[in-house]
Amino acid sequence: MAARSNDAAVRIEGLGMVYPGGVRALAGIDLEVREGEFLAVLGLSGSGKSTLLRCINRLIKPTEGRVFIFGREATALRGAELRALRRQVAMIFQQFNLVKRHTVLANVLSGALGRSALLPSLALTFPAEEQQRALGCLDRVGLGDRAASRADALSGGQQQRVAIARALMQEPQLILADEPVASLDPALRHSVMRHIEVLNRDEGLTVLCSLHDIDLVARYATRLVALRDGRLVWDGTPAEFDRTTFKEIYGEEAEPASNTGL
Amino acid sequence: MAAPTSSAGRGWMQRARILAVDWALIVIAWMMAEFLLLAFTGRRGPTGMLLTAEQILDLVHYWVAAAGGLVLAVGWSLLERVIGASPGRSLTGSVPADEKELPWTQTLRGWFAAVFIELTFFTGWLITELELVTFLTKFGKAADIVRGLAHPSASVLHEGMILLVQTIFLAFMATAFAIPIAFVLSFPSARNLTRGSAPARIGYLVSRTVMNFVRAVEPLVWALIFISWVGIGPFAGVLALWVHSVAALTKLYSEQIESIDPGPMDAITATGASTLQVLRYGVVPQVIPPFLSFTIYRWDINVRMSTIIGFVGGGGIGYILKPRVDLGEWGEVGTLVLLIAATVWVMDILSAKIRERIV
Ligand SMILES: Nc1ncnc2c1ncn2[C@@H]1O[C@H](COP(=O)(O)OP(=O)(O)OP(=O)(O)O)[C@@H](O)[C@H]1O
Ligand SMILES: [Mg+2]
Repeated sequence: MAARSNDAAVRIEGLGMVYPGGVRALAGIDLEVREGEFLAVLGLSGSGKSTLLRCINRLIKPTEGRVFIFGREATALRGAELRALRRQVAMIFQQFNLVKRHTVLANVLSGALGRSALLPSLALTFPAEEQQRALGCLDRVGLGDRAASRADALSGGQQQRVAIARALMQEPQLILADEPVASLDPALRHSVMRHIEVLNRDEGLTVLCSLHDIDLVARYATRLVALRDGRLVWDGTPAEFDRTTFKEIYGEEAEPASNTGL
Repeated sequence: MAAPTSSAGRGWMQRARILAVDWALIVIAWMMAEFLLLAFTGRRGPTGMLLTAEQILDLVHYWVAAAGGLVLAVGWSLLERVIGASPGRSLTGSVPADEKELPWTQTLRGWFAAVFIELTFFTGWLITELELVTFLTKFGKAADIVRGLAHPSASVLHEGMILLVQTIFLAFMATAFAIPIAFVLSFPSARNLTRGSAPARIGYLVSRTVMNFVRAVEPLVWALIFISWVGIGPFAGVLALWVHSVAALTKLYSEQIESIDPGPMDAITATGASTLQVLRYGVVPQVIPPFLSFTIYRWDINVRMSTIIGFVGGGGIGYILKPRVDLGEWGEVGTLVLLIAATVWVMDILSAKIRERIV
């Protein structure tokens, strides 16, 4: 672990993905994300954002190239080693992906599965200190009073905060967020993004987050990359991002929404 | 950017599939046509009698049909440019877009389908020996039975009630024992959980094949097998319904697993959880309510089946029904049939009510 400080949080070399049907979703991606960065991933629908994030924690197995996480080659791992690596990488999804019929607390506790004993966890029981920790995580996203509710009884914004608490529970070093606010009411987006920002700024967690809204990128990201047709077409800071680069990414026909201030 | 990598290989497979379907369809049509030709030309046997359908089936030249069908199928695939897409293309969903628009009367495959349906209907009529006149004129004999059913006799009521209790418990035990086994088997039988590795895919194939076979064998046949194993009585009936229920529930359960939302599975996998934990958290909570509903439905079916499983000696109310049918004691048969009908009716309502609550 001593070598870690020299290593990038994520290093991607020549990454490519062809889905079984023959659709090429990624081609020749090279990318290095330093520890502590908040990297926004931009791109049109179908440009490969989800595929990229899912290749990093190996929810899908890329067909070409290599991914290193804190110096360990994720693309070479299998079985228990792969699961150990996944524990360091939490993921937040557009559709929250909570276990709807479980309680909020049980959902947060599921973040600890990677380090839990198998049999008790299959019986949905966790040690007292994990339960305390889960309650703490819930408090941090402002939902301490909803621990006993069923997950699907919560609003969308609240469910995504539960998902963030689940990610926190995992005690990760890296967070992958795939359009975490895209299915939320615009008014609620900041309430969720701020929690991710806190993890990045105060805990020093590296964040890779795909986003649609340029406003959000400007407000939260420290760095910005863009995908087009599975290729990396832009890499820079939000401040460098302007109308011309917007058209580069989204094509000549696209116009930034009026409220983006570009 | 879509760049199919192995289009040549898959194109070849596709052609072979289309050809196989065409071949099968043309051969079947050919055989039916020959059958009808033989039947309608009034062929007579050595005794001078008209041939029966079974005798005609014996005369059909199956190998000629197979060979001729192959020639026609290959011919069609070669001439596709001229005479239009083949029926195999329709069934494999690969008809060119411009041909899809045409009304069926303007395509050869449309006419093929029409003729095929006609042939099937006429052949079926002859083979199953439908006789409309007999059906409409010979009602007299059956009237006895109907009269008996309408005047149930009280003499078997007591025995019937007791065996009815046995019938319901027989169905219950068969269902209860089937649940845990079907539950475990449904995971390796679900396509979406078994794509990952070669052993998983093999497990899927084995489990699916075995279960399809078990399900294809009727519970009455299973009852015969178990009667020679454990002897006549309700236990053989329980085993027969149990085996069939395991296969049926495995299919229903695994189809339910195949239709879950994969999102929670992804989320649990991403925490670093192991396979069993992913199943427990990402799959099981989503399938429990439908599983309960299917299980109650299955119990309902098993009650129905257990009423007739006694016909072959598998216990339950059917056991005393069979001899009374053979002896023509229609009054007693009437009592038993009414008991069965009442039970099935009550189970129907109960299971519908319970399932309504769950879903
Ligand atoms: N499971 C899959 N099987 C086959 N093709 C897929 C699969 N998932 C995605 N694709 C294809 O890969 C390409 C990239 O998809 P991806 O989901 O990564 O894009 P995205 O940028 O996340 O889009 P969105 O903004 O809609 O979420 C698309 O062409 C898509 O159709
Ligand atoms: Mg996506």
